[in-house]
Amino acid sequence: MRSSPFLYFLLLGIARQKGKHIGVVSISLVVLFLLSSVLFISSSLHHTISSQLESEPDFVVQRIRGGVRVDAPVEWIDKLVDIYGTKSVTPRVYGRYALSPKHEWALVVGVDFTDEQSHKGLEKLIGDTNLKQFLKSDQMIVGQGVARYLKSHFYSDSYSFMTPEGAFKKVDIFKELSDSSSLISNNMMIMPIDLAREVLGVDDESVTDIALSVPNDDEWSSIEDKIESLYYDIRVITKTDVKRIYENLYNYKGGLFLVLFLIAIVTFSLILYQRYAMVYSTERREIGLLRALGWSISDVLRLKFLETLVVVVISFVVGVAMAYIYVFVLGAPLLVDIFLGGDNLSHRIQLLPVVDLSVLSSIFLLYAVPFVASVLIPVWRVAVTDPKEAML
Amino acid sequence: MMSPIIVVERLYRKFTLGVESITVLEDIDLTIDRGECIVLKGISGSGKTTLLSIMAGLDKPTEGNVIIDSESIAKLPDLHISKFRAKKIGMIFQHFNLLEHLSVWDNVLVPLVPMGIDMDRAREMIESSLALANISHKSDTLASRLSGGEKQRVAIARALVSNPEIILCDEPTANLDLGNSVKFIEILQKLHSLGKTIVVATHDPLFDNLPFESRVIPMANGKIETDI
Repeated sequence: MRSSPFLYFLLLGIARQKGKHIGVVSISLVVLFLLSSVLFISSSLHHTISSQLESEPDFVVQRIRGGVRVDAPVEWIDKLVDIYGTKSVTPRVYGRYALSPKHEWALVVGVDFTDEQSHKGLEKLIGDTNLKQFLKSDQMIVGQGVARYLKSHFYSDSYSFMTPEGAFKKVDIFKELSDSSSLISNNMMIMPIDLAREVLGVDDESVTDIALSVPNDDEWSSIEDKIESLYYDIRVITKTDVKRIYENLYNYKGGLFLVLFLIAIVTFSLILYQRYAMVYSTERREIGLLRALGWSISDVLRLKFLETLVVVVISFVVGVAMAYIYVFVLGAPLLVDIFLGGDNLSHRIQLLPVVDLSVLSSIFLLYAVPFVASVLIPVWRVAVTDPKEAML
Repeated sequence: MMSPIIVVERLYRKFTLGVESITVLEDIDLTIDRGECIVLKGISGSGKTTLLSIMAGLDKPTEGNVIIDSESIAKLPDLHISKFRAKKIGMIFQHFNLLEHLSVWDNVLVPLVPMGIDMDRAREMIESSLALANISHKSDTLASRLSGGEKQRVAIARALVSNPEIILCDEPTANLDLGNSVKFIEILQKLHSLGKTIVVATHDPLFDNLPFESRVIPMANGKIETDI
């Protein structure tokens, strides 16, 4: 440790001002912890959405009337199959079902389990479900949010839907979807397509929309144009559009936090700047004395820079580690609700540990640059003044 | 024949206060030979401290030139003048200017830090300068716990640690009692015998007619009155 006088003097300086440094590190830890937590949650959600949407169909075709989606006729399916380049054209039946008159609703998803293509998209969600057992009677698979809601209303084994005709339809709960897919499936009720038609009141000649895939990415744009030219009331939604909708939602929330934390960091830097700008007379004298004893301006700046860097690195490492534990081990209690709070049914998701280097470097830059600048600029201003004057 | 180590040529130092220009040093010409011990004598405001600061490269002249060991330092950029000061000049200040929160040993280390030497060499240099200033026994004591005389000896050790050729002392006994002032003069004599060039700015009568001093240069109103 004593191999270099500079290193020795640097450590001496840090140890001597440990009270001040502990204060700065503590404030930095709070800022860094919150900033890192938000960015970790945001990137984990981003990653989860991307991987879960991977199994979504490339295109979804809907019918629009008066700007509102209405059911599409089944004959559209034949027209879509005829377009060269399309594959796996699958009718889908789904719709919102109000669980309570005011707030909670679920997404009823009807799947044709006899058609392999039709339920392929849901493979990731339903996993190794025993389809034979599932299709034996009127049963459904529910997302975590739905399951929690139903249990809280004493529907632990089954739920009685009210059909558009006013009759009750009892459907048993076959199983619950896993936590890991909750971001997408939280409010889903997956059931056989005929059962979904009955619950939602969709006749046999109609479908909610039609999903299809286009294996060649280069063809996407031209096939989208061809589909849109089929009917005047047709709308095509691509997988990219869906991804963008989800990402925008979470990026927007993450962005809001980022702005708040930038404000916090700027405020913190201004406080530091002010503190160093008024550099205590003893510190001012000390810089003047160092200069008088043969230290150049760059020697003084190097010492203060390294002193600050040690504080920055310690704060960064500890702050990020704390955020990692909070988000990926403890599940980010409180903060995650702010991100997922827009959904009508409460979420409980397992955040996947995703540590993106660009996120880490962004955190470091957002924090370190203003911090170091707010310390070094005032020190530089003292260092360039006449040593005699600074020593007064 | 002795060679000159400090040459001051037609030196002026002016300060501007609002619209007013104050001349602190006026037309100073001075040559100090290697190994000389010079006393700049004068009352407060006579310009001796400013002249000493310019010799140390801590201040820049408004006009004129200062040549130290054949190198003109008046216009040297910061990096060069700092290195030059660290290597050639040891400063002893009126108020000792120690870092009070550091130990004696650490205070003496300060001038060596930017020199890029290793710690073993630094240790040797510190030990020898502490011994020369008779303060080795206090090396682990905090500077804030020292008496005035001890602080002055630490300041001497710090000035000597890089083995500079020139020692500049600004009112070195102003904050010392008679006993410590005499001890300081004894150390000065020891440094003189080691061949150091010493310039003392003082108004203390103790420095009149010291056996080892070469010249007393009286200053008044920013000018050298007579070079005795």
